[in-house]
Amino acid sequence: MTPATPRLKPLRMAALAAAAALACAATQAAPLKIALVETLSGPAAPTGQLFRMSLRYSLDIINASGGWNGEPVQLMEYDNQGGPAGAADKVKAAIADGAHMIVQGAASSVAGQITEDVRKHNLRNPGKEVVFLNVGGEANEFVGEKCHYFHVRFSPYATLRMKALMGVMRAEKVMGDEVFAMNQNYSWGQDIEKATIEYGPSMGYKVVDKVLHDLNKVQDFSPYVAKIAASKADTVVTGNWGNDLLLLMKAAKSAGLKARFATTFLDQPGNIGNAGETALGHYVVHSFNAEAAGAAGEKYVNDIKAKTGQAPTFVMPHTINGMRLVGEALKATKAEAGNFSARAFIPALVAAKASTPLGDISIRAADHQVILPMVVSVVSKDAKYKVDGTDMGFKPVKVMSGPEAAAAVFDSCKMTKPS
Amino acid sequence: MTRGLGGAAARGIALPGLVAALAGLALLLALPVLLSASLLNAAIQMLIAALFACAFNLLCGQGGMLSFGHSAYFGVGVFATVHAMNALAGQGLLPTPLLPVVGALAGMVFGAIAGWFATQRTGTYFAMITLALAELVHALAPHIKGVFGGESGVSAMRMPAWGFSFGEGRHLYYMTLFWVLLALLLLYGYTRTPLGRLTLGLRENSHRLRFLGYNTHLLAVLVFTVSSMFSGLAGGLQAVNNELGNYVVFDANLSSSVVLNSYIGGVNMFLGPALGAALMTFFGLAVSDLTRSWLLYQGILFVVVMLFMPTGLAGLAQTWALARRRCGAQRLLPLVGAWLVALALLSLGTVFAIELLQQLFSTDYRAGVQAGAPWPAVRQFGRSWAPGAVTTWLVPLVLLATGTPLARWAGQRWAAALDADQGQDAPR
Amino acid sequence: MDQFVVSLLNGCIYGLLLFMVSAGLTLIFGMMGVLNFAHASFYMLGAYFAFTLQPYTGFMGALLLAPVLVGVLGVVVERFFLRRVHQHGHAHELLLTFGLSFIIGELVKLFYGNYPVEYRVPASLDFAAFRIGELNYPFYRMLMGGVAIAMFVMIFLLLTRTRVGIVVRSAIYRPRMAEALGHNVPLVFMGVFGAGAALAGLAGAVAGAFYTTNPNMALELGVMVFVVVVVGGLGSLEGAMLSSLLIGLVTSFAVGIDRSLVDLLALVGLGGWAQGVGGLFTLKLSSLAATLPFALMLLVLLLRPSGLMGDKT
Repeated sequence: MTPATPRLKPLRMAALAAAAALACAATQAAPLKIALVETLSGPAAPTGQLFRMSLRYSLDIINASGGWNGEPVQLMEYDNQGGPAGAADKVKAAIADGAHMIVQGAASSVAGQITEDVRKHNLRNPGKEVVFLNVGGEANEFVGEKCHYFHVRFSPYATLRMKALMGVMRAEKVMGDEVFAMNQNYSWGQDIEKATIEYGPSMGYKVVDKVLHDLNKVQDFSPYVAKIAASKADTVVTGNWGNDLLLLMKAAKSAGLKARFATTFLDQPGNIGNAGETALGHYVVHSFNAEAAGAAGEKYVNDIKAKTGQAPTFVMPHTINGMRLVGEALKATKAEAGNFSARAFIPALVAAKASTPLGDISIRAADHQVILPMVVSVVSKDAKYKVDGTDMGFKPVKVMSGPEAAAAVFDSCKMTKPS
Repeated sequence: MTRGLGGAAARGIALPGLVAALAGLALLLALPVLLSASLLNAAIQMLIAALFACAFNLLCGQGGMLSFGHSAYFGVGVFATVHAMNALAGQGLLPTPLLPVVGALAGMVFGAIAGWFATQRTGTYFAMITLALAELVHALAPHIKGVFGGESGVSAMRMPAWGFSFGEGRHLYYMTLFWVLLALLLLYGYTRTPLGRLTLGLRENSHRLRFLGYNTHLLAVLVFTVSSMFSGLAGGLQAVNNELGNYVVFDANLSSSVVLNSYIGGVNMFLGPALGAALMTFFGLAVSDLTRSWLLYQGILFVVVMLFMPTGLAGLAQTWALARRRCGAQRLLPLVGAWLVALALLSLGTVFAIELLQQLFSTDYRAGVQAGAPWPAVRQFGRSWAPGAVTTWLVPLVLLATGTPLARWAGQRWAAALDADQGQDAPR
Repeated sequence: MDQFVVSLLNGCIYGLLLFMVSAGLTLIFGMMGVLNFAHASFYMLGAYFAFTLQPYTGFMGALLLAPVLVGVLGVVVERFFLRRVHQHGHAHELLLTFGLSFIIGELVKLFYGNYPVEYRVPASLDFAAFRIGELNYPFYRMLMGGVAIAMFVMIFLLLTRTRVGIVVRSAIYRPRMAEALGHNVPLVFMGVFGAGAALAGLAGAVAGAFYTTNPNMALELGVMVFVVVVVGGLGSLEGAMLSSLLIGLVTSFAVGIDRSLVDLLALVGLGGWAQGVGGLFTLKLSSLAATLPFALMLLVLLLRPSGLMGDKT
């Protein structure tokens, strides 16, 4: 279970830290250092732990094929203490400890802090740029106004998810004509609502009513369920996650609501186990479904499960696949004066291609967003891979390849290449 | 009673205290040379937390009004400064080093308004009002995107000023140090003014103040305003440091942590909260990367301090000074040694047990457990421990079993030593 | 009309759930002046204990046993923790319970993991009681409401009609006098704290099956419980019932109201301007449904700090 990659825990003794800094400066063939600044404690810790698992697994593979520049890639882990302020501190600590890349996934608020910190660091330190690999943070603004040259995204985003989900459900005729948009009232939920409404005319469905409710505050969703029933919608489209999703679905089931749920995060570990039969017949859009990938998918799942103890689901597949791209790019990146250069790495990453069990992935140059296949699945007892120790799993409905699933680049993304 | 102790102790530690203060100042000035960049950044965060805690203590420890929503004023300072950074771009009116003033002003204005409402009640009701205000701001902030930004907040950029780039840690550190020292000086000066004395009066007996002719409500509002002004200043410093304002700053977490930091440091001494805040910030930064259960340790620390050190760490220093005057250092030093050994034993035992349990119950370990086979070994402190072996469980048990009676013995001897000398030194 | 009835029922049941948790808190505060921040943690522990016991004792057995365990824990907390800091004042007691809530939360995460656990309503109780319009009304909700009402009646009778109740009430108003008369007041304190904790545990055991049981349960319900207690009046049982129903109904009905300040201002012709300003003005009441209780709490604290039914001090 414990990988062979040496992990550098940040040293807290002043003298040792100074000595280490001096030592690092003295070496010529500097190893590549990747820092994970993640939510490893507090309420969002489960998701953060999944990112950590995925990163360790990926780096083990990269190191098994030789690492970079003749040295194994080093992973440094930092706990951002659950918030942007802690993340700012740890980013500074990571950069001071020599990190060349920062990886983070849980929580868009933290991603917002990190991407800005990295951007400003790069502006102030030309030639010593740091790369931010965003493996989570799915609010639209990361491919919109907050995009910048040294920021690369490996995960889907709100509009992408909606395009795939709505498109497939409409094509398979499981959506009906009337849709209810139920979302959490913050940037992610608002983005999902906007995207749901946006695709209505082109895909031929009508959003009959919409609700933005308080984030993580509502215990009793039955008033909202009553509203859904009153609107007579066929499908409820929601970007809810965690408790907000579980409670909504449970309230709907106990009220006997007939509408189908189209979700983005139903595959979070624990959801199916907690919801039980309530979850049957509902849809989810995600980046991987092992059953749809056939034999290659089975091999992928078994390998990951053996090494991490967790089957790849939720945020793990796109993180692992994204790191495959990083591995490919690293092979094409030469050291400059023995050191890692972000300016050489980014073009290599944009040019790289990696194969995943569901298809190829690559990075789009205009906004540094990954072009990846998207799958729409339904919760069913016929699924090949069961989850959460229940008799249910996700049965794939349709796979959209990367180019098919891709949504247009946002106008608000103005990426400038540094001189 | 506490003030009496403080008075006696103060005389006992006056000159050594001054020397210590000067040495501390010299150390603070020299830190950028001594520390690595990441530790220096930790020092900046500790300074900001210390200022926030001292500002809070003005209201709580000195004014006797426990506020549960102080993060609101800190947060207002953060956002005001971030918007000022964006608007003024570091030139003209306010160069970068002077930007925290905006935070202070915003904190002052918002604090005056909020304080006017909150101070109409006292005691628990006052605390509840401040909590309600903070929660309201916290709940409304995500909706007002123009001011508070969305989930990723409002970002700004520090501009160079006065010849410094403010891009390196050193510049930031000295700027923060300057502001924090200035604020602490002002706060200390405040305690020496008549208003400062009246603040203490509010805590001791507001009824009497009213009978003496003072308008206690106005007084309370003034105290609240001063406290929130310095909280806003601390917020402004954080904004300049992190260049980002995010509405999570209004979380109840920050409000509660400043209360806990202050009480751990000791609310009866001026620098107590600063000490508590600095230590707990460092604890958070350092321990969060060492173990996943750091929140549990933090909780245990809180409870232990509340149970056994109710006057906080600063109170501990006072107690030591007084006891030394009474009994002499020779008698007490062995007991202090015993205390420290007991503390070490108990801490080690607790940490060992918790880390062991945490590893045994974690999902990756449970995934590796096969039915029927003996449970795999757990790696801890550089060695492997088998969960089935008795020695694995014996270690924490022995540590705890030896630490507890030692602590009790030391406590009894300490109390006996103090009682024995009761007659020799007239108590104040 | 259906919408109205559904909102009414939902509001009442949610309010009764809040009452179950806050009843203990208001009694503890009324008695000891301690605002117990760990109370919501007892709620969470009730759910987790019931989840752990369910495979061995069945659902009903778990519902009976879990509150007892939580009550015992409450007694331990009072005897060994709170009593030590009692002399240092209310702030210290408050902070101690706060630290305890941290510890309990983290221990739960340590033993049970970070994800929600599979504590569900047993199939025998999972059916619809009746239909309103097109929606079912689950029987379990009615059960929760029934348990809450039974709790209220029982406590009320206990406090007003029995000897124990008289002693408890006198210890609330005049602890010194009660002690002077020979009653064991510290024992009464311990008993009330334990009983309050047990009530919260029962609420957790019952509600945890219906809602989710996860380590953040305490945080989710915790602040709302304080709002209920403050609005109702610290120490008043009837006030807690009234305010929890009020808050439940307000939250429930607000969800159906899609109006905002813009609509209000439109009545005086300023609608267009308000729409242009945006921000706070265009916030719909339905989006603020969970925030309204705080506004209510603020209002009550400013106008009538002793709460709706508390004693005027």
